[in-house]
Amino acid sequence: MAKKRLAVLQKLLEFSGINPERLRMRWVSSAEAVEFVHEISEFAEEIKKLGTNPLKEKDAA
Amino acid sequence: MVNTKIKETVRALLVEGKIRGFLGLRGENGHIMPHLFCDPQELESLSLGDWKKAGDSRYPLNQILIRLAMEYPEETFAVLVRGCDERGLRELFKWKQLDEEKVIPIGIGCPDELAKVCECEKPFPDGLIDGPRGEKTGSQKVARINEMGLDARFKFWLAEFNRCVKCFGCRNVCPMCFCNECTLEEEFLVGKGEVPPDNPTFHLVRAMHMVGRCIDCGLCEEACPADIPLRTLYKKIADIVSEEFGYKTGYSVDEKSPLNIIEVK
Repeated sequence: MAKKRLAVLQKLLEFSGINPERLRMRWVSSAEAVEFVHEISEFAEEIKKLGTNPLKEKDAA
Repeated sequence: MVNTKIKETVRALLVEGKIRGFLGLRGENGHIMPHLFCDPQELESLSLGDWKKAGDSRYPLNQILIRLAMEYPEETFAVLVRGCDERGLRELFKWKQLDEEKVIPIGIGCPDELAKVCECEKPFPDGLIDGPRGEKTGSQKVARINEMGLDARFKFWLAEFNRCVKCFGCRNVCPMCFCNECTLEEEFLVGKGEVPPDNPTFHLVRAMHMVGRCIDCGLCEEACPADIPLRTLYKKIADIVSEEFGYKTGYSVDEKSPLNIIEVK
């Protein structure tokens, strides 16, 4: 269900002018610490590349 | 005249005692409003919702029907339906908000003029009693936004959303919003006394709740005092649902909406 909702939400974000890559879903169990660190680090890198979130600029304005 | 055939059909149902009443529209004192016709004699004042322009006086009749059905669960009612209302009825039956056995749809097709303004996919019900079987019109409004870049889209929507006065008109008029509890009223998500609401979150939350639910009647946009192009937003939702799941809201009588099915794989 979450997967279906995410697919729709990503496209909706894109239509609203927000890069859908800012939203990501992964399944990681609490026993998979290495996996968790890997996912988060990679996502953090990705987000840095994308630059400032337009929503943040909106709040600052 | 379209009106005559509809009147005859309803009159017969009333006289034969097949329905307790017909939920339609009535023209009175220069206004058009919803009315429950229980006596065939009243049908003289029947209106199909065209006041100054085709279909400019539409109401969420299915929403009123849900309330009637709650009050009179044993009775059968007929209801005036356009293409969109028929789609709505199908979804409401699937969600058990109405009992199919107790509802008789009286279908009218929309005039071209209205179908074009609505950019309607299917401006007539399958159970068509009278009126035209109009052509499908694709949405130019959605196409225009699809052509914009991300930044332009963001600016466009934020400017539109920020006119919101949080009147809840879009939700209140919606014939498909039947939840007793509404996310948009959760205080920890939507702060009280703040206008405009937190955007785009507020409107995107509503948009997400329209997935597999919106039947594109456009009453939300008509009700909006700030002219926010909500219909365009929800039309996009319909496109997404169709692309992702091959589901078209309100077209099937038995297939359930994708977010209504939990798949175990």
